[in-house]
Amino acid sequence: MADKRPRQGGPRQGASEQRIGIFHRLQAWLANHQLVAVETLIKLLQKPTATILTWLVVAIALTLPGALWMTVDNVQQLGGQLQQSGRLSVYLQPGSDLNEGRQLAQQVGSWPQVASSDYISAEQALAEFQASTGLGGALELLPENPLPAVILVEPPLGVAPAQLQALRLKLEQQPLVDEVQLDMRWVQRLLALLQLGERLIWVLGCLLALAIVLVVGNTVRLSIAAREDEIRVIKLVGGTNAYVRRPFLYLGVWIGLVGGLMCWLLLVLCWWLLSGPVAELSQLYGSAFELQPLSAGAALILLAAAVLMAWLGAWWSVSRHLHHIEPQA
Amino acid sequence: MSAQDPMVRFERVSKRYPGGRDALSGINFELGRGEFAFLTGHSGAGKSTLLKLMMLMDRPTRGRVMVDGEDLSQLRPSQVPYLRRKVGVVFQNHQLLFDRTVYDNVALPLQIAGFSPAQAARRVRAALDSVGLLGKEGRTPIELSGGEQQRVGIARAVVNKPPLLLADEPTGNLDPELSAEIMNLFVRFQQVGVTVLIATHDIALIERMGHRRLILDHGQLVAGGSAVEDDIYGG
Repeated sequence: MADKRPRQGGPRQGASEQRIGIFHRLQAWLANHQLVAVETLIKLLQKPTATILTWLVVAIALTLPGALWMTVDNVQQLGGQLQQSGRLSVYLQPGSDLNEGRQLAQQVGSWPQVASSDYISAEQALAEFQASTGLGGALELLPENPLPAVILVEPPLGVAPAQLQALRLKLEQQPLVDEVQLDMRWVQRLLALLQLGERLIWVLGCLLALAIVLVVGNTVRLSIAAREDEIRVIKLVGGTNAYVRRPFLYLGVWIGLVGGLMCWLLLVLCWWLLSGPVAELSQLYGSAFELQPLSAGAALILLAAAVLMAWLGAWWSVSRHLHHIEPQA
Repeated sequence: MSAQDPMVRFERVSKRYPGGRDALSGINFELGRGEFAFLTGHSGAGKSTLLKLMMLMDRPTRGRVMVDGEDLSQLRPSQVPYLRRKVGVVFQNHQLLFDRTVYDNVALPLQIAGFSPAQAARRVRAALDSVGLLGKEGRTPIELSGGEQQRVGIARAVVNKPPLLLADEPTGNLDPELSAEIMNLFVRFQQVGVTVLIATHDIALIERMGHRRLILDHGQLVAGGSAVEDDIYGG
């Protein structure tokens, strides 16, 4: 609507102005975007210290939730492996022989599908129970030790659920065995912890996104103040609000884009610094687990969030300050 | 909005600034298409306020201002830029951008209006040629004299071929010879169909040139209010 200008009635002028075709308009509009984008970047690079500091602020603000994201992703992956490798508690029949129990534990420990096995005699179990619960007095009143001997069986990391089930059946078929329990509680705890981690990413991410909006908003505010005269002249000769806003929005986009790319670099650096020690650690646990860098999808989401937040900050700042600046005679 | 509409029409226009000062009261006048007129009066008589109302740099307290057949009070904020593209303005203080070249200063209205760089180049050169500054495109305004800066401002005001050209004390800082030169430029634009209104208190110059005179006194139009009165055509 607004750019549908009435034909001008002056004797000579005006006619040629009306003849700008839609194609030429689009072309000029794109050319202007390109020009503004490049000019804005050049202006940014002309003040390297301030610019790099702004980029770093954005990068670090993003790296915190990014690193947490990477951590949770990795723990999830690790948890996925661990979830299937719960510990098995093998309860032996009451009154079974100590030596026979030890023998069975050794035998089970030598199976290929078992990483380690540990024999806990009924007496040991009683002692531990007394020590940890303080119910020793009550237990002493019983005629005999009610606790059975236990073999704790640890399957290797990353074993499939079907294999685990097969191992359980095999253990149950052993003559001394009374009952086999899969201990999954700590896996559940890990899952709860992961959920907490995810929530933490969101909370931290939202706070730091707000920080980016504010930082970019402030940078843009300073830039507007420095270019007040220019804005007045542009409005005087008929610049639309969109035209006036454009360089400042590009300023925001550049800050977000480069800040986001710098955040990638920081995350890769974090990953590179940590992956060595993590690999060593997981080797010690007999696992082939390797620290994975942030997935491509997550990295793109981070970058998009950076650009969007910076653009929002710029837009917010421009719309707050722009209408105060009007042409003056 | 037809060609029969006057270029500018003021209907009982008053402007009261906060604090109660009446800058303009009950102004009535029309400016026909292609007309050339001077706006004079003592300083503080309301000349600048009157010009500002035509650019929507200010809005009247009462009354109606029409430009090119459009009632400015009906314009939405988003339409204001398009009005300003129809009105070229020249200020005493030039309002040039000193960090840009002469070329970029003059090209600005075209860039804003969506001209391609190639189309703009032709017009910018033509505008600079008309003010006698061809060859100085690459300079920055700071390297130019006051008269040259004023002419850059004029080139910028006319580069988009606006049907209406307003000037506020365009010769304020210039010596008589340069002033006459600048005025002749405005006359040339009028000769190609542009409606021209120049606010000035350079009485000697005005009397030499003739043309219609609108005289403001303490916010009231005391002469020249009607285009049909014979006696307002000086000479």
